[in-house]
Amino acid sequence: MAEIRVRNLHKEFGVGEDRVVALEKVNLDIEGHVFVSIVGPSGCGKSTLLNILSGIETASSGEVKITQDAHDANPGYVFQAARLLPWRSVMDNLLFVQNERDEAARARCQKYLDMVQLGDKGDKYPGELSGGMQQRVGIARAFSIEPDVLFMDEPFSHLDAITARTLRRELHEMWKQTRKTVLFVTHDVGEAVELSNRILVFAKGGKLEDDITVDLPFPRDPADEEVAVAKAHVLRKFEELDLLAT
Amino acid sequence: MTTATIPTGHNALTGFFKKSWVARTLMPIAIIIIWYIVFYTLDSRIFVPPHKVFAFMWDELTLNTPLRYGSVKSSLYGMFGITIFRLFTGFTVAMIAGTLIGLAMGLSKSVNAFFHDWVMAILAMPALVWGLFLGLVFGFGHQAPIYACILAGIPFVIVNVREGVRNTPKELFDMARAFGVPQNHITRNVLLPSLMPFFFAAVRYAFSVGWKGLVIAEVFGADTGMGWTIKFWYDAHRTQGVIGYGLFFVIFALALEKLVFEPLAARSFKWRPRIGDIGVVEEKFILDPTIDGAGEAEYAREGGLDG
Repeated sequence: MAEIRVRNLHKEFGVGEDRVVALEKVNLDIEGHVFVSIVGPSGCGKSTLLNILSGIETASSGEVKITQDAHDANPGYVFQAARLLPWRSVMDNLLFVQNERDEAARARCQKYLDMVQLGDKGDKYPGELSGGMQQRVGIARAFSIEPDVLFMDEPFSHLDAITARTLRRELHEMWKQTRKTVLFVTHDVGEAVELSNRILVFAKGGKLEDDITVDLPFPRDPADEEVAVAKAHVLRKFEELDLLAT
Repeated sequence: MTTATIPTGHNALTGFFKKSWVARTLMPIAIIIIWYIVFYTLDSRIFVPPHKVFAFMWDELTLNTPLRYGSVKSSLYGMFGITIFRLFTGFTVAMIAGTLIGLAMGLSKSVNAFFHDWVMAILAMPALVWGLFLGLVFGFGHQAPIYACILAGIPFVIVNVREGVRNTPKELFDMARAFGVPQNHITRNVLLPSLMPFFFAAVRYAFSVGWKGLVIAEVFGADTGMGWTIKFWYDAHRTQGVIGYGLFFVIFALALEKLVFEPLAARSFKWRPRIGDIGVVEEKFILDPTIDGAGEAEYAREGGLDG
C-alpha cells in the first residue's frame, strides 16, 4: 500500500526582499488507494508541492517520504502540458520512461494506449495529434510505468470543457481499474469534487488550511444535487478562508 | 451584414506559377535575360555573355583547355579536388572544435564569459584579413586556406551550438527527471534531438562561410586551388574564367544541399509538420476569409490554409 508522509515541508524561492514562501511547514499523511485533490488560488504552492514530491525540485527544509509496502515508491507524473518528446513517436514516448524497453514494456505501453483510446496512434508523432490526444498520451505514459503513486498537475486546464470532461471520465475509469494513489492539483473545485475522496485546501503563502473528505459514491455527475452540494461546501470553505478574493 | 467575395487567385495560370519547380526555373531564366540585357547595354569587351561562360565551363569540364601548368593536376578536377580537400578538412575541424566549445559555453557561464568576446572578435574579422594574415604567416600551401576556412566557420558553429544548448526544453528534462530516466537516455533522446535544428544551421553556415574564407586565402596565400584559379583568370582578364569557376562551386554547393543536407534534414526532422500542413504566409494574407460567411465558405472549399 502506498503511503505519503510530509513533515514540516518548507520551500522558499529567492533571497532578501525577493524572498517568496511557496510552502510553509506543511504536514500531510496520505495512505492507500485514494484520489486526493489539492486546490487553492494561483501561487499557493500546489505545483511546488507536487514537484518536491516527485523530485523535480528540492525542499528548503522538512521531510518527504513516499513508500510502497515500506519500500521507496515508484511515482508517475502527468503535467499541465503533455510534455511529450516531439521527435519521438507516441509509442517511443511511452517507452522512453520505461526501465526496460523490451517486448513486455511495449505490450504494457500498448495496453495503456488502448485504455486512453489511442491504441492505433502508436506510430504517430505528437505534432500529428490534437491537444486532447496529446494529454491522453501523457496520461497513458504515467500509467504505463505502473506507478505506486500518480502526481497530476492541472492536466485538463489547457483543454476545452468537453474534452476535459471526457478525459475526467476516462481518468476515473483508469483509477477505478488500477486503484493507484493519486495526487491531483487543480484550480477547479467542481473537478476536485467529481474525482476525489479527499480535497486539500491550500492558501496563499503555501499553508495547508483544510482537509475535506468527500464521501460520495462514484461515478459523480456534476449535475447531481449531492455533487453540487459538496461543491458548494468546498466553495464556502474558500469563502471562510478568504481565498475567493485572491 | 455586408457580404464580399474574396478573390482566391487560384485560376490555372496563377496555379501554374505557384508550383515551386516553376518558380525555381523562372529565377535562373530571369537572371540570364538580365545578364544579356546588361551585356548588350554595356557593350564591354570585359563583360561576357552567358553563352561564353557556359562554353568556357564546358571546355574546362571536358579538359578542352590549354593546361596552365602543363600538368593534369592544374585542370578543373585537380584544382577542385585540392580546394574540396582543404574545405572538408577545415570544415571538419571547425565543426568538431566549434561544437565542443559551443556546448561548453552553453553549459557553463564561466566558459561562456571566457570565450564570448573572442568569438565575437573572430566573427567580426573580415575573411580578407584572415586570408592576407595567414598567407603572410604560412606562405603558399594547404595551411593558410585550411586555417582561413576554420577561422571563418568556427564562430558560427560556436554561436549556433551555444544557442541550441540554451534553448533546450527545460520542461522535457524535468519530465525525464520526474520519471527517473537515466542520464544517458536523456542525452540521447532529449538533448541531442533538441540540438539538431541548431546543429544543421551550424553545418550550413560553416560550410558556406568557410568556403568564402578559403577562396580568399587561396587567392592570397596559395598557388593551387579554385581561389588561385579564379585569380589566374582575373590576371588574364578572362571574365568567363572568373564567373565560370565561381559557378562551378555554386553548382557543387547546390548539389551538396540537394543530395546531402536536404535528405539528412528531412530524415532528422520528419517529426515536424510539413510546410504544406501549416500553410504559407502569402496564403494567409491573400486568402483571408474572415470578412464574412461567404468568404469562409469559399475558403473552406479551397481547403483552407492546407490547400
